[in-house]
Amino acid sequence: MFKNLKVSFFLACKSIKRSNIGTTVLTIAIMSLIFVNLIFLPSIVEGIAETIEQQTRDHIYGNILIEPKEDDFYIDNVDSLQKKITRLPGVLGTASRYMVGATFTHKDKFIGGTLHSASPADEIVVTKYHKGMISGEYLSESDTDEIIMGLDLTGEEDKEGDEADLGGVKVGDKIEVTFSNGVIKEYRLKGIFSVSKMGMDSFAFITEKEMESVLGSNNQASQILIKLNELGTEKEFKKKFMELGIKEKIKTWEEKTAGITEVVVSSFRIITLISTIVSLIIAVVVIFVIIYINTIYKRKQIGILKAIGIDQRVIIRSYILQALFYCFSGIIIGSILLWILVSYLTTNPISFPIGTIRPVIGTSLITQSILSLLIVSLIAGFIPSWKTARESILKAIWG
Amino acid sequence: MIKVKNLKRIYHKGIVEVHALKGVSFEVKNGEFLGLMGPSGSGKSTLLHQLGLLDTPTGGEIFIDEINILKLSENEKTLFRLNRLGYVFQEYAILGELTALENVYLPLLMMGKKKKDCINLGMEMFDKVALGERAHHLQRELSGGEQQRVAIARALINKPKILFADEPCANLDTESSRHILELFRKLNEDLGQTILMVSHEEWHKKYADRIIYLKDGLIEKM
Repeated sequence: MFKNLKVSFFLACKSIKRSNIGTTVLTIAIMSLIFVNLIFLPSIVEGIAETIEQQTRDHIYGNILIEPKEDDFYIDNVDSLQKKITRLPGVLGTASRYMVGATFTHKDKFIGGTLHSASPADEIVVTKYHKGMISGEYLSESDTDEIIMGLDLTGEEDKEGDEADLGGVKVGDKIEVTFSNGVIKEYRLKGIFSVSKMGMDSFAFITEKEMESVLGSNNQASQILIKLNELGTEKEFKKKFMELGIKEKIKTWEEKTAGITEVVVSSFRIITLISTIVSLIIAVVVIFVIIYINTIYKRKQIGILKAIGIDQRVIIRSYILQALFYCFSGIIIGSILLWILVSYLTTNPISFPIGTIRPVIGTSLITQSILSLLIVSLIAGFIPSWKTARESILKAIWG
Repeated sequence: MIKVKNLKRIYHKGIVEVHALKGVSFEVKNGEFLGLMGPSGSGKSTLLHQLGLLDTPTGGEIFIDEINILKLSENEKTLFRLNRLGYVFQEYAILGELTALENVYLPLLMMGKKKKDCINLGMEMFDKVALGERAHHLQRELSGGEQQRVAIARALINKPKILFADEPCANLDTESSRHILELFRKLNEDLGQTILMVSHEEWHKKYADRIIYLKDGLIEKM
């Protein structure tokens, strides 16, 4: 077996070495582009999924989210619960939010939305709204008559069209807020943020103190966001929180975003799947055509090889090795191209409506792409060589 | 050494049956240089192909060293060709992607010999066919006579029991043909090489020990 493989390798090497250099370069170039395509598009989709997850972790759920018990509207004794959670090593911080429906009005424009309460000091540790301020400032603990709003609520002044927003209010403008309990109060717009187009830009925040004074609530919250030191430890901490006796609903960000991410990336994944199938078909066709032409052109040589006692399997394996050479060369060159492309896009990410996207290439994606390209190369190398090599010796030599 | 009994070969060309060999029987002794002669279509090349396991006869038996070679499996036939038989075709039939030396030592490589030994033995064989200086040339860089000598060197490298030559001088000028035939004669006399050679040139007769004349798929005279 091994000595025969040596002969196959010998024949394959000589064939590649003395084949047309242009054809070899072109074949490898096509294979490398196919490899790039197999990895690049899925890596962008993974990048989108990762951005969505990152955005939801950073702005909506934290690492772990605590919500009211089944039949409750709010979490009670929030302060003691937060203290209990924060004491655990590995918890970076917690932020409680009280959420109510509200209508925001400015002059003749109004829009409905959800108003959140925020404890600015806590929010800065857990979320990243403070980093997304595009105008004005983030809330401070002492703010009472001030509000910050997302860009989707404030709108943009020069933007054309019938947008459902306040038509481009600016920092310093007065916003009238009608609370769900009927209270109407005017706030000064302190800042405008834009963090993502995943719905977070339609949030508005006032301080926790202000919310409590308007609603008369005390030490209550609609949710508590928990930020952990280390990503990936959520399940472990969920268990710890349950052991602490927390009766409220505890959900990891993964549990909360599973559906959302799937909805957003499922269409992209279909496109990726189609692109992968097309790429693999192209790979099969390219390798098949190259090996087929090769075997047809060298039909006489195959006949001679068989006549002098070279095993048919050795001949077939020599063509499979040639196909593998094209495959691996394509993978190597393709990997270099990908590295350049990914390096560029990591420093210059693509701007998507949901945020900036960087390609994410996991080991499973690389393994899957290499294996699929390898399998199609093996098949495409085997079929034409097997077909020609099984011809009778005399027919192969003299036609 | 070779025993052929009632060998038949029928080709099918559409609905027409061509009886290339109609029942040929003869024997070849060890170390004999046998010439197969006859007009075109007499069946001499067909006979050589059956003896050399390049084709499968329709009927009859062939024994080489008491082995009924037609009973061998395809893999056994391949090994038999590799280890015991050598071929020289009329159209040189050397591999264009390999140098002359690589062409010659390829069978040794297939037999499992180390590459270094293959090269050394190949070079020795090149000296025997007086082609040493052309060892590293490709097919396109060799003349017809040189290519045929490469083919002979390749056919002899595995020290075959029988060397089959199918009109080896068909594409060569008289001078080159004479060199090839003298080389065959020398191999036969010095090494006791058994040779079966197909030819239609009358002047080639003198190099062979014995001639079998074929006509219309049958032996005309021996």
